[in-house]
Amino acid sequence: MTAIQTANQASIVEELAEVIVANKAYLSEIDGKIGDGDHGINMAKGFGRAAERIHGKEMTLDAALLVLSDVLMSEIGGSMGPLYGLMFEDMAGALAGRDTLDAAAFSAMLNAGLEGVRGVGSAEVGDKTLMDTLVPAVGAFDAAQDQGFAAALQAMVAAAEAGRDSTLDLVARIGRASRLGERSRGVLDAGATSCCLILTTLAGSIQRRMA
Amino acid sequence: MAPRQPHKTADADTLTPMPLRYGDDPLLWAAWLYYEEGLTQSDIAEKMGLSRASVNAYLADARTRGIVNIEIAPEKFRALSIAQALRDHFNLQDCLIIPTEGDERPLIARLGAAGAQVLRRFVKSGDTLAVTWGRTVLALAEALDHPGLQDVRVVQATGGTTAKIPWTPEACASRLADALKARSIPISAPAIVTSAEMRAMLMQEPVLAEQLAILAEADRIVMGISSLRPESTIHSSGFLDGGVQHAHYQDAVGSIVGRFIGARGEPVIGPMQERTIGIELEALRRIPQRIAVAGGVDKVPAILAALRGGYVNVLVTDVVTGRGILTAEGYRDTPRRSPPADPAPLTARSHVKKLINAPQDAVDEALRGALLAHEDLIAALPDSPRAIRALDGPRPGKVGLVIGGGAGHEPGFWGYVGRGLADAAAVGNLFASPPPGPILAATQAVQGGAGVLYIYGNFSGDVMNFDMAAEIANAEGIPVRSVVTTDDIASSPIESRAARRGVAGNVFIFKIAGAAADRMMPLEACEAVVRRANARTYTMGLALEPGSLLETRRPSFDLGPHDMELGVGVHGEPGVVRQKLASADESADLLLDRILTEMAPQEGDRVAVLVNSLGSTPAMELYIILRRVRQRLKARGIIVHKSLVGPYYTSLDMAGVSLSLLHLDAELATLLDAPCRSAALTLP
Repeated sequence: MTAIQTANQASIVEELAEVIVANKAYLSEIDGKIGDGDHGINMAKGFGRAAERIHGKEMTLDAALLVLSDVLMSEIGGSMGPLYGLMFEDMAGALAGRDTLDAAAFSAMLNAGLEGVRGVGSAEVGDKTLMDTLVPAVGAFDAAQDQGFAAALQAMVAAAEAGRDSTLDLVARIGRASRLGERSRGVLDAGATSCCLILTTLAGSIQRRMA
Repeated sequence: MAPRQPHKTADADTLTPMPLRYGDDPLLWAAWLYYEEGLTQSDIAEKMGLSRASVNAYLADARTRGIVNIEIAPEKFRALSIAQALRDHFNLQDCLIIPTEGDERPLIARLGAAGAQVLRRFVKSGDTLAVTWGRTVLALAEALDHPGLQDVRVVQATGGTTAKIPWTPEACASRLADALKARSIPISAPAIVTSAEMRAMLMQEPVLAEQLAILAEADRIVMGISSLRPESTIHSSGFLDGGVQHAHYQDAVGSIVGRFIGARGEPVIGPMQERTIGIELEALRRIPQRIAVAGGVDKVPAILAALRGGYVNVLVTDVVTGRGILTAEGYRDTPRRSPPADPAPLTARSHVKKLINAPQDAVDEALRGALLAHEDLIAALPDSPRAIRALDGPRPGKVGLVIGGGAGHEPGFWGYVGRGLADAAAVGNLFASPPPGPILAATQAVQGGAGVLYIYGNFSGDVMNFDMAAEIANAEGIPVRSVVTTDDIASSPIESRAARRGVAGNVFIFKIAGAAADRMMPLEACEAVVRRANARTYTMGLALEPGSLLETRRPSFDLGPHDMELGVGVHGEPGVVRQKLASADESADLLLDRILTEMAPQEGDRVAVLVNSLGSTPAMELYIILRRVRQRLKARGIIVHKSLVGPYYTSLDMAGVSLSLLHLDAELATLLDAPCRSAALTLP
């Protein structure tokens, strides 16, 4: 199979929430090394609440993503609220009206999400933020699209992981950790790590449904 | 008695707390700990803050360089054991013993150099340093070169003496002042006047009274100790002219600060007492640090008397003199073998105790409590429980002032909502900006047709969420301006000031903004004065212990048991520099020096001071810090217009302080003084 239906796919967002909640302590621990240590807590709170609202409902994927976006935007605050909130809102927007999620639709969704983040944040690749994961992941997916949806998802996952790991050796140039200068080197960025979790979980959920 | 702490240097560049008696020689220190105190190499590594491998290398080096010689007990080790015995026996702050026989230089020159080393270690910016006179004191002044300090005053401890000697009080004081780039304050009168009546008359002179008042403020004194032998300083300075007077002083064994003392240190009162102008023995004992530099066998009885009388708490002398003092005191010279008890390491916290119910409820429960405690001042908006508005304040025609940020800074932000302060605050989750919703709700609730001003600290999340709220408000026809505060000077260099965080200095900025809005100043004028207040507010913080998050209950960063962290943020973000724990005064200096360097105030300028607890540092320590800050500012000639001390802007349970200074101008001072009433700040 090279596509899935978008209808009745709220469980994809529930699976996403499950992974974020399970990684709450890990994300906070990473964040605590160079930030304020609450990334996992805030992410888990937002994704967890969204999952509660979605649970058991018949919803399209884009509708479920909009619920997630609303919760992140209106209840979480911080910088991750607007950043992920807008990312999921624009991803949902790109899916609106589509019945099938194929490689082209997923690419449109990824690129819309990336633009959503760019609209509110000013970070570039190399600043030690979630952009270090998101930008190469989107690029890798698009480059591998002609090899099929599943192969492109795999390429995206590999690029996301490499992007996340690249933050280990970066010096933060934006956000709280940027005040630490050289001391931020040697630690993964929490946002890049959570973004990698989101993308790999999405890919896994879609691949399972295509199998 | 408090456990003895290792001495710290005042100089931030040399952070190793090496006890003074080892001079500048870490090899000697390591060798002493290993061979004399019997510590293990890993104990030594911990004590010296080195790796075990370095200690091993030090010991090897000490052997090859002859510091350790198994055959012969070297002179240096003798000096050490004598210094330690003197320190313990007379309860001294510190003691430095130099070899009696040394290089070519005479003993007085070498004592002077050692005294200069000691003074370099202790003297700090803002100090008032008293100084006596004599050969050794002048040698010390000549050996000293320490120009890096600010606002030091050197004051003569006594009036002047005969000019027949080169080491007069004037010469010693001015030479010392030169070496420290300090201001020199003379005592414009002779040390000995002809009669008690003359002294009484002179003491009426305002110039002299002013000089003596400065002397009374001395933080430390450097002094010689004189024997009463015929060639001694006290004789050659003309204090004991004639055998008749000498008869009154037959019980005296020595002289310090131009006064005479007996063998047990008791004052010996004679006819000179009423004719002497200078510090008295009782006042001398009240000076916190009293450094005596004296050596020579002839001085043993005099130095011993001064030690017994408690006039000295830092002693610099030589081996033979030191041993003579100990022998006279009946002290048996036995080498120490047992290591002294080290202060127990602080218990590592792995799970911090907190009075909360469920972590996820803490922010709302605390907020509900605050609203009940201050129900006469603030209330939540009915349909937006995280938007807190003032009951008195918002009114038609007045610029609405909305502040906000994450929770965890209590009494920030609701504590600054009230008449003459902010009209509303939006409260986020723990250390996370509020989302646009409550900011917008607050904006709509307090706008009075004259626009709304947002003030919040510079954090990326706050900027995003407040900007989103502002965009919606503007679209709804409510003009909104924002001032993003950037007072934390540790968070970014001055070239990128706009990237700095906004921290405790917010309290001043909120106050200025609240007063401007309360005076019905229009939006543009409010914004302009708040921008100026932000540009003139400087904050720097330090942490002793990290705070711990509600969910994890674990410290949000690691800080060693003997470390402190400079430049910490207010969200448990690690700081910029980590260093050995310093004393209150050294810590205050570290913060203030950085602030003053940027602020560059002129003498006579006015400032407001905030000494803020980051959460668990108690009021007592805050006041100790404030005292030092005021001392320093006074020495710089800066007028403190207002001092705030307390937990004004916290970071959960972090231990530590932040210091904020607002560099006032006339308008800012007026606005700062304007009345206000809120939960955290009320001015009549």
